Amino acid sequence: MKLMPRLAFAIAALALAATALPAAAQQLKPEDQIHLRQSTMALVGYNFGILAAMAQEKRPFEKAEAERAAEILPKLAALPGRFFGEGTEKGGNTKAKPEIWKNMDDFRKKLEAMQQQVAMLPQAAGDLASLKKQVSETGKACKSCHDDYRAK
Amino acid sequence: MNGRARRVRVWDLPTRIFHWTLAVLVVFSFTTGKIGGDWMAWHLRSGYAVLTLVLFRIAWGFAGSETARFARFLRGPRAAFSHAREVLAGRHAIAAGHTPLGGWMIVAMLAAAAFQASTGLFSDDEIATQGPLAVKVSNAMVSRMSSLHAIGQWVMVTLAVLHVAAIAFYRWRLGVRLVGPMVTGWSAFPLAQEPPRMRPAWIALVLMCACALGVWWLVEIYPMR
Repeated sequence: MKLMPRLAFAIAALALAATALPAAAQQLKPEDQIHLRQSTMALVGYNFGILAAMAQEKRPFEKAEAERAAEILPKLAALPGRFFGEGTEKGGNTKAKPEIWKNMDDFRKKLEAMQQQVAMLPQAAGDLASLKKQVSETGKACKSCHDDYRAK
Repeated sequence: MNGRARRVRVWDLPTRIFHWTLAVLVVFSFTTGKIGGDWMAWHLRSGYAVLTLVLFRIAWGFAGSETARFARFLRGPRAAFSHAREVLAGRHAIAAGHTPLGGWMIVAMLAAAAFQASTGLFSDDEIATQGPLAVKVSNAMVSRMSSLHAIGQWVMVTLAVLHVAAIAFYRWRLGVRLVGPMVTGWSAFPLAQEPPRMRPAWIALVLMCACALGVWWLVEIYPMR
Protein backbone atom coordinates (compact mmCIF):
# COMPACT_ATOMS: atom_id res chain seq x y z
CA MET A 1 0.00 0.00 0.00
CA LYS A 2 1.63 3.15 -1.16
CA LEU A 3 -1.33 5.41 -0.49
CA MET A 4 -0.90 5.73 3.26
CA PRO A 5 2.70 7.05 3.26
CA ARG A 6 1.79 9.45 0.49
CA LEU A 7 -1.20 10.72 2.41
CA ALA A 8 0.88 11.06 5.54
CA PHE A 9 3.48 12.99 3.57
CA ALA A 10 0.85 15.30 2.13
CA ILE A 11 -0.63 15.98 5.55
CA ALA A 12 2.81 16.61 7.00
CA ALA A 13 3.62 18.98 4.15
CA LEU A 14 0.41 20.88 4.65
CA ALA A 15 1.00 21.11 8.38
CA LEU A 16 4.50 22.44 7.73
CA ALA A 17 3.19 25.03 5.29
CA ALA A 18 0.60 26.06 7.82
CA THR A 19 3.20 26.70 10.49
CA ALA A 20 5.49 28.51 8.07
CA LEU A 21 2.95 31.28 7.55
CA PRO A 22 0.95 32.90 10.31
CA ALA A 23 -2.23 30.90 10.70
CA ALA A 24 -4.33 34.04 10.59
CA ALA A 25 -3.13 34.97 7.13
CA GLN A 26 -4.07 31.55 5.78
CA GLN A 27 -7.66 31.53 6.82
CA LEU A 28 -8.55 35.09 6.06
CA LYS A 29 -9.75 36.61 2.86
CA PRO A 30 -7.42 39.33 1.52
CA GLU A 31 -10.14 41.84 2.28
CA ASP A 32 -10.19 40.80 5.93
CA GLN A 33 -6.41 40.87 6.16
CA ILE A 34 -6.30 44.43 4.86
CA HIS A 35 -9.03 45.39 7.31
CA LEU A 36 -7.17 43.78 10.20
CA ARG A 37 -3.77 45.24 9.44
CA GLN A 38 -5.30 48.70 9.16
CA SER A 39 -7.29 48.25 12.36
CA THR A 40 -4.33 47.00 14.34
CA MET A 41 -2.14 49.75 12.90
CA ALA A 42 -4.79 52.26 13.97
CA LEU A 43 -4.51 50.95 17.54
CA VAL A 44 -0.73 51.13 17.37
CA GLY A 45 -1.07 54.68 16.08
CA TYR A 46 -3.55 55.63 18.79
CA ASN A 47 -1.35 54.43 21.64
CA PHE A 48 1.92 55.61 20.15
CA GLY A 49 0.24 58.94 19.46
CA ILE A 50 -0.40 59.38 23.17
CA LEU A 51 3.27 58.75 23.96
CA ALA A 52 4.41 61.01 21.11
CA ALA A 53 2.15 63.83 22.31
CA MET A 54 3.65 63.53 25.78
CA ALA A 55 7.19 63.36 24.37
CA GLN A 56 6.54 66.51 22.33
CA GLU A 57 4.96 68.15 25.37
CA LYS A 58 1.69 68.62 23.53
CA ARG A 59 -0.04 67.00 26.45
CA PRO A 60 1.09 66.70 30.06
CA PHE A 61 3.15 63.68 31.03
CA GLU A 62 1.01 61.30 33.08
CA LYS A 63 2.94 58.31 34.28
CA ALA A 64 -0.06 55.96 34.57
CA GLU A 65 -1.37 56.73 31.08
CA ALA A 66 2.14 56.56 29.59
CA GLU A 67 2.71 53.16 31.14
CA ARG A 68 -0.69 51.89 30.02
CA ALA A 69 0.01 52.90 26.41
CA ALA A 70 3.62 51.67 26.50
CA GLU A 71 2.69 48.29 27.94
CA ILE A 72 -0.02 47.48 25.43
CA LEU A 73 2.05 48.61 22.44
CA PRO A 74 4.39 45.59 22.12
CA LYS A 75 1.37 43.28 21.92
CA LEU A 76 -0.36 45.50 19.38
CA ALA A 77 2.79 45.96 17.31
CA ALA A 78 3.06 42.19 16.90
CA LEU A 79 -0.26 42.05 15.06
CA PRO A 80 -0.17 43.96 11.74
CA GLY A 81 2.67 41.79 10.38
CA ARG A 82 0.33 38.77 10.35
CA PHE A 83 -1.90 40.30 7.70
CA PHE A 84 0.39 40.84 4.72
CA GLY A 85 -0.40 37.52 3.02
CA GLU A 86 -0.33 36.85 -0.72
CA GLY A 87 -3.04 38.65 -2.66
CA THR A 88 -3.34 41.51 -0.20
CA GLU A 89 -1.22 44.00 -2.13
CA LYS A 90 -4.36 45.44 -3.69
CA GLY A 91 -7.81 46.12 -2.41
CA GLY A 92 -9.69 48.50 -0.21
CA ASN A 93 -7.81 51.71 0.39
CA THR A 94 -4.55 50.02 1.22
CA LYS A 95 -1.46 52.20 1.23
CA ALA A 96 0.81 49.17 1.36
CA LYS A 97 3.19 49.32 -1.59
CA PRO A 98 3.61 46.26 -3.86
CA GLU A 99 7.34 46.49 -3.00
CA ILE A 100 6.51 44.74 0.29
CA TRP A 101 5.85 41.46 -1.49
CA LYS A 102 8.91 41.88 -3.69
CA ASN A 103 11.18 42.48 -0.67
CA MET A 104 9.40 40.45 1.98
CA ASP A 105 12.64 39.68 3.86
CA ASP A 106 13.57 43.34 4.13
CA PHE A 107 10.01 44.25 5.06
CA ARG A 108 10.04 41.63 7.85
CA LYS A 109 13.41 42.93 9.05
CA LYS A 110 12.05 46.46 9.32
CA LEU A 111 8.93 45.20 11.05
CA GLU A 112 11.12 43.40 13.59
CA ALA A 113 13.29 46.48 14.07
CA MET A 114 10.12 48.40 14.90
CA GLN A 115 8.98 45.71 17.32
CA GLN A 116 12.36 45.80 19.07
CA GLN A 117 12.05 49.54 19.62
CA VAL A 118 8.45 49.22 20.75
CA ALA A 119 9.50 46.50 23.21
CA MET A 120 11.69 49.08 24.96
CA LEU A 121 8.84 51.53 25.45
CA PRO A 122 7.43 50.04 28.68
CA GLN A 123 10.69 50.44 30.59
CA ALA A 124 11.08 53.99 29.22
CA ALA A 125 7.59 55.18 30.09
CA GLY A 126 8.35 55.83 33.76
CA ASP A 127 9.89 59.25 33.24
CA LEU A 128 9.58 61.86 30.53
CA ALA A 129 13.29 62.09 29.65
CA SER A 130 13.65 58.41 28.80
CA LEU A 131 10.23 58.36 27.15
CA LYS A 132 11.31 61.18 24.82
CA LYS A 133 14.39 59.23 23.82
CA GLN A 134 12.57 55.99 23.18
CA VAL A 135 9.67 57.63 21.30
CA SER A 136 12.27 59.26 19.06
CA GLU A 137 14.02 55.94 18.38
CA THR A 138 10.72 54.18 17.75
CA GLY A 139 9.60 56.94 15.40
CA LYS A 140 12.73 56.37 13.32
CA ALA A 141 11.88 52.69 12.98
CA CYS A 142 8.33 53.60 11.88
CA LYS A 143 9.67 56.05 9.33
CA SER A 144 12.28 53.74 7.81
CA CYS A 145 9.54 51.24 6.96
CA HIS A 146 6.93 53.80 5.92
CA ASP A 147 9.41 55.55 3.60
CA ASP A 148 9.95 52.37 1.60
CA TYR A 149 6.71 50.46 1.91
CA ARG A 150 3.86 52.84 2.52
CA ALA A 151 2.36 54.98 -0.25
CA LYS A 152 2.16 58.65 0.51
CA MET B 1 25.78 95.35 -21.99
CA ASN B 2 25.68 98.24 -24.36
CA GLY B 3 24.91 101.85 -23.74
CA ARG B 4 25.81 103.98 -20.80
CA ALA B 5 24.87 102.65 -17.43
CA ARG B 6 25.08 103.68 -13.80
CA ARG B 7 24.68 101.80 -10.58
CA VAL B 8 21.19 101.97 -9.22
CA ARG B 9 19.38 100.29 -6.35
CA VAL B 10 17.14 97.67 -7.95
CA TRP B 11 16.22 95.41 -5.01
CA ASP B 12 15.07 96.93 -1.74
CA LEU B 13 16.17 95.47 1.59
CA PRO B 14 12.85 93.73 2.41
CA THR B 15 12.83 91.92 -0.95
CA ARG B 16 16.41 90.77 -0.43
CA ILE B 17 15.78 89.59 3.12
CA PHE B 18 12.65 87.81 1.89
CA HIS B 19 14.57 86.14 -0.92
CA TRP B 20 17.48 84.79 1.10
CA THR B 21 15.37 83.74 4.06
CA LEU B 22 13.02 81.83 1.77
CA ALA B 23 15.97 80.19 -0.02
CA VAL B 24 17.39 78.98 3.31
CA LEU B 25 13.99 77.83 4.58
CA VAL B 26 13.18 75.86 1.42
CA VAL B 27 16.41 73.89 1.80
CA PHE B 28 15.86 73.56 5.55
CA SER B 29 12.26 72.37 5.14
CA PHE B 30 13.24 69.81 2.54
CA THR B 31 16.10 68.48 4.69
CA THR B 32 14.19 68.30 7.98
CA GLY B 33 11.26 66.64 6.20
CA LYS B 34 13.60 63.97 4.87
CA ILE B 35 15.31 63.37 8.23
CA GLY B 36 12.01 63.38 10.08
CA GLY B 37 11.76 62.32 13.72
CA ASP B 38 12.82 64.99 16.18
CA TRP B 39 13.45 67.42 13.33
CA MET B 40 9.77 67.49 12.42
CA ALA B 41 9.12 70.13 15.08
CA TRP B 42 11.52 72.37 13.15
CA HIS B 43 9.99 71.32 9.85
CA LEU B 44 6.65 72.70 11.07
CA ARG B 45 8.18 75.94 12.36
CA SER B 46 9.98 76.36 9.07
CA GLY B 47 6.67 75.91 7.26
CA TYR B 48 5.03 78.64 9.36
CA ALA B 49 7.91 80.96 8.52
CA VAL B 50 7.55 80.13 4.80
CA LEU B 51 3.84 80.89 4.98
CA THR B 52 4.58 84.22 6.67
CA LEU B 53 7.17 85.10 4.02
CA VAL B 54 4.90 84.22 1.12
CA LEU B 55 2.03 86.27 2.56
CA PHE B 56 4.40 89.17 3.06
CA ARG B 57 5.72 88.87 -0.50
CA ILE B 58 2.20 88.92 -1.92
CA ALA B 59 1.45 92.08 0.07
CA TRP B 60 4.80 93.58 -0.99
CA GLY B 61 3.86 92.76 -4.57
CA PHE B 62 1.10 95.34 -4.26
CA ALA B 63 2.47 97.81 -1.73
CA GLY B 64 6.22 97.43 -2.18
CA SER B 65 8.96 99.05 -4.24
CA GLU B 66 8.51 99.27 -7.98
CA THR B 67 10.68 96.25 -8.82
CA ALA B 68 8.78 94.11 -6.31
CA ARG B 69 5.33 94.87 -7.72
CA PHE B 70 3.39 92.26 -9.66
CA ALA B 71 1.82 94.95 -11.85
CA ARG B 72 5.28 95.90 -13.01
CA PHE B 73 6.91 92.54 -13.65
CA LEU B 74 3.98 90.34 -14.70
CA ARG B 75 3.84 90.41 -18.47
CA GLY B 76 1.78 88.48 -20.97
CA PRO B 77 2.88 85.15 -22.49
CA ARG B 78 3.96 86.89 -25.68
CA ALA B 79 6.45 89.07 -23.81
CA ALA B 80 7.69 86.02 -21.93
CA PHE B 81 8.19 84.02 -25.14
CA SER B 82 9.95 86.79 -27.01
CA HIS B 83 12.17 87.35 -23.99
CA ALA B 84 12.97 83.61 -23.90
CA ARG B 85 13.96 83.75 -27.59
CA GLU B 86 16.22 86.74 -26.93
CA VAL B 87 17.91 85.03 -24.01
CA LEU B 88 18.43 81.77 -25.87
CA ALA B 89 19.95 83.74 -28.74
CA GLY B 90 22.42 85.13 -26.22
CA ARG B 91 21.05 88.64 -26.05
CA HIS B 92 20.05 90.39 -22.91
CA ALA B 93 18.84 93.93 -22.53
CA ILE B 94 19.55 95.28 -19.08
CA ALA B 95 16.48 96.25 -17.16
CA ALA B 96 15.86 96.80 -13.49
CA GLY B 97 13.89 94.04 -11.79
CA HIS B 98 12.48 90.79 -13.04
CA THR B 99 12.49 89.87 -16.72
CA PRO B 100 9.16 88.78 -18.27
CA LEU B 101 10.24 85.15 -17.87
CA GLY B 102 11.70 85.66 -14.40
CA GLY B 103 8.47 87.30 -13.27
CA TRP B 104 6.51 84.16 -14.01
CA MET B 105 9.13 82.12 -12.20
CA ILE B 106 8.55 84.27 -9.11
CA VAL B 107 4.83 83.56 -9.28
CA ALA B 108 5.46 79.83 -9.80
CA MET B 109 7.85 79.60 -6.85
CA LEU B 110 5.60 81.67 -4.58
CA ALA B 111 2.68 79.43 -5.52
CA ALA B 112 4.72 76.27 -4.88
CA ALA B 113 5.94 77.56 -1.51
CA ALA B 114 2.41 78.59 -0.55
CA PHE B 115 1.12 75.19 -1.66
CA GLN B 116 3.69 73.33 0.45
CA ALA B 117 3.17 75.52 3.49
CA SER B 118 -0.62 75.28 3.36
CA THR B 119 -0.97 71.56 2.53
CA GLY B 120 1.47 70.94 5.38
CA LEU B 121 -0.93 72.57 7.82
CA PHE B 122 -3.42 69.75 7.12
CA SER B 123 -0.92 66.88 6.81
CA ASP B 124 -0.25 63.95 9.09
CA ASP B 125 2.76 61.66 8.75
CA GLU B 126 0.91 59.00 10.73
CA ILE B 127 3.89 58.52 13.01
CA ALA B 128 4.12 61.38 15.47
CA THR B 129 3.65 64.62 13.54
CA GLN B 130 0.49 66.40 12.58
CA GLY B 131 -0.08 69.78 10.99
CA PRO B 132 -1.97 72.16 13.28
CA LEU B 133 -5.12 72.22 11.13
CA ALA B 134 -5.39 68.45 10.58
CA VAL B 135 -7.77 68.26 13.56
CA LYS B 136 -10.12 70.67 11.79
CA VAL B 137 -10.84 68.60 8.68
CA SER B 138 -11.94 65.06 7.77
CA ASN B 139 -9.45 62.20 7.64
CA ALA B 140 -10.04 61.87 3.90
CA MET B 141 -8.96 65.48 3.54
CA VAL B 142 -5.90 64.90 5.76
CA SER B 143 -4.92 61.93 3.62
CA ARG B 144 -5.32 63.93 0.41
CA MET B 145 -3.39 66.90 1.80
CA SER B 146 -0.57 64.63 3.00
CA SER B 147 -0.26 63.11 -0.48
CA LEU B 148 -0.26 66.53 -2.13
CA HIS B 149 2.34 67.72 0.38
CA ALA B 150 4.54 64.73 -0.47
CA ILE B 151 4.21 65.33 -4.24
CA GLY B 152 4.51 69.11 -3.97
CA GLN B 153 8.01 68.92 -2.50
CA TRP B 154 9.30 67.74 -5.87
CA VAL B 155 7.58 70.61 -7.67
CA MET B 156 9.33 72.99 -5.28
CA VAL B 157 12.68 71.24 -5.78
CA THR B 158 12.27 71.31 -9.58
CA LEU B 159 11.50 75.03 -9.59
CA ALA B 160 14.44 75.77 -7.28
CA VAL B 161 16.80 73.82 -9.55
CA LEU B 162 15.46 75.64 -12.64
CA HIS B 163 15.90 78.94 -10.81
CA VAL B 164 19.55 78.21 -10.00
CA ALA B 165 20.13 76.86 -13.53
CA ALA B 166 18.74 80.08 -15.03
CA ILE B 167 21.06 82.16 -12.84
CA ALA B 168 24.01 80.03 -14.00
CA PHE B 169 22.89 80.44 -17.62
CA TYR B 170 22.76 84.22 -17.24
CA ARG B 171 26.19 84.23 -15.61
CA TRP B 172 28.06 81.94 -18.01
CA ARG B 173 26.22 82.48 -21.30
CA LEU B 174 25.08 86.08 -21.09
CA GLY B 175 27.71 87.41 -18.72
CA VAL B 176 25.04 88.84 -16.41
CA ARG B 177 25.59 88.53 -12.69
CA LEU B 178 22.31 88.19 -10.84
CA VAL B 179 23.47 87.01 -7.42
CA GLY B 180 25.44 90.13 -6.53
CA PRO B 181 22.52 92.55 -6.97
CA MET B 182 20.29 90.26 -4.90
CA VAL B 183 22.89 90.54 -2.11
CA THR B 184 23.75 94.24 -2.32
CA GLY B 185 20.64 95.59 -4.01
CA TRP B 186 22.72 97.50 -6.58
CA SER B 187 22.90 96.83 -10.29
CA ALA B 188 23.94 98.47 -13.54
CA PHE B 189 21.10 100.44 -15.05
CA PRO B 190 20.65 102.38 -18.32
CA LEU B 191 21.30 106.05 -17.84
CA ALA B 192 18.34 107.02 -19.97
CA GLN B 193 15.77 105.23 -17.86
CA GLU B 194 14.15 106.45 -14.69
CA PRO B 195 15.46 104.38 -11.75
CA PRO B 196 12.85 102.27 -9.92
CA ARG B 197 11.13 103.93 -7.01
CA MET B 198 11.79 102.34 -3.61
CA ARG B 199 9.43 102.20 -0.66
CA PRO B 200 10.66 102.66 2.89
CA ALA B 201 11.55 99.45 4.73
CA TRP B 202 9.39 100.24 7.75
CA ILE B 203 6.27 99.58 5.65
CA ALA B 204 7.65 96.11 4.96
CA LEU B 205 8.31 95.60 8.66
CA VAL B 206 4.72 96.46 9.51
CA LEU B 207 3.41 94.13 6.79
CA MET B 208 5.74 91.33 7.92
CA CYS B 209 4.55 91.67 11.53
CA ALA B 210 0.93 91.57 10.39
CA CYS B 211 1.58 88.40 8.35
CA ALA B 212 3.43 86.76 11.24
CA LEU B 213 0.57 87.61 13.60
CA GLY B 214 -1.96 86.11 11.18
CA VAL B 215 0.03 82.88 10.80
CA TRP B 216 0.55 82.66 14.55
CA TRP B 217 -3.21 82.94 15.08
CA LEU B 218 -3.82 80.29 12.38
CA VAL B 219 -1.45 77.69 13.81
CA GLU B 220 -1.59 78.39 17.56
CA ILE B 221 -4.94 79.93 18.45
CA TYR B 222 -7.45 78.78 15.82
CA PRO B 223 -6.74 75.01 16.22
CA MET B 224 -7.62 75.26 19.92
CA ARG B 225 -10.97 76.88 19.32
